[in-house]
Amino acid sequence: MPKNITIYTTDTCSYCPMVKQYLKSKGLPYDEVNLEKHPERQDEVFKMSGALTVPVTIVTKQDNTQDVVIGYNLARLAPAIA
Amino acid sequence: MPHDLVIVGAGPAALSAAIYTCREDIDTLLFEKGAIGGLAAVTDWVDNYPGFAKGIAGLELSDAMRAQAERFGAKIELGEVQKIEDQGKLKKLTTTEGDIYTKAVLIAAGSEYKQIGVPGEKEYYARGVHYCATCDGAFYRDKRLVVVGGGNSAVQESMFLTKFASHIDMLVRSKLRASDVLIKELEKHKDKITVHLGTTTDEIVGNPPTGGGKVTKVIGTDTASGKKVEFPTDGVFVFVGLLPSTKFLADSGVGVDDFGFIKSDLHLMTNIPGIFVAGDVRSGATLQIASASGEGATAALMIREYLEMQERGPLPQAVVGHPQLY
Repeated sequence: MPKNITIYTTDTCSYCPMVKQYLKSKGLPYDEVNLEKHPERQDEVFKMSGALTVPVTIVTKQDNTQDVVIGYNLARLAPAIA
Repeated sequence: MPHDLVIVGAGPAALSAAIYTCREDIDTLLFEKGAIGGLAAVTDWVDNYPGFAKGIAGLELSDAMRAQAERFGAKIELGEVQKIEDQGKLKKLTTTEGDIYTKAVLIAAGSEYKQIGVPGEKEYYARGVHYCATCDGAFYRDKRLVVVGGGNSAVQESMFLTKFASHIDMLVRSKLRASDVLIKELEKHKDKITVHLGTTTDEIVGNPPTGGGKVTKVIGTDTASGKKVEFPTDGVFVFVGLLPSTKFLADSGVGVDDFGFIKSDLHLMTNIPGIFVAGDVRSGATLQIASASGEGATAALMIREYLEMQERGPLPQAVVGHPQLY
């Protein structure tokens, strides 16, 4: 089980609820950062992901290594949370 | 136990079909690899779907369709169908969640936004080049944008992006092809949106992408004069048409047209018995949410007929009273 999961979202992004729904279906808690409410954190997500897009999911594992998953990408997200 | 029906996709065609099949007690499983609601869910505003006099947000419409389908028992699996194999009365689907067997399949996988295919488009993907305004528009608050395209999506998403951007240059290769209503609406935004008709998009330029660089300008051509034109910008949103989502059908034997859209008969069945198609991915589809929903309902009734016939065999003509579907 991951140590921590953070999802960066916006109000109008339709793929963001999909990531949240997927994590809920796996019983995994997550923190959410809404970039419309916190525009000052946009640079933070760009530095981590190299992308100006949402959703971006940061999965921090027990050994503190991180997986960055851009978009609603189950092929990347499923192994990241395993 | 095989399912009665597996639907590939969970957009308007798929959800409409599921509403009908679930109400008929047909065991129905939907597989969605992207957003539930498909492209409708990432559309800012839908003004031409019947029943909503003031229009409705695409995401809200999609949520309502999902809730309605689930109310009747539709099960939506988040995953990707990678392959379909016809085994006669059963179809085998290879998915990211394992193998699944079903008596019938409805392909309602929808479509995805087409790329322009110019230098810089791939290099700056998601770091300056985007295909979803509702997803990525918020990154461009008080910044300049270029929107490429002149159809309904380009016009509608440009107007949505005025919520964030300080100015938008719309580059339209020939002329606007959006509906008259949208074109009139666009005129109300001329303080923020400049439309450049007869302007191609030739190259997207920026700082070196490997160093985290972002887009700085778009180079195009004014087709009337043949001269190069430049548009300084922080980002580019592309809406130049749709491509069918049919990669997973390679080697399946399902017939497609020259553009990759799936061919069907009058009953929305493909060339493989038991495999049906509806919505944007169907050859001849009109790429509208309303028509996709209608096709989904039609496909559901045809599938019901197909499944009944598989159970009981063809009825004598005298009993059915009208030409049998299968």
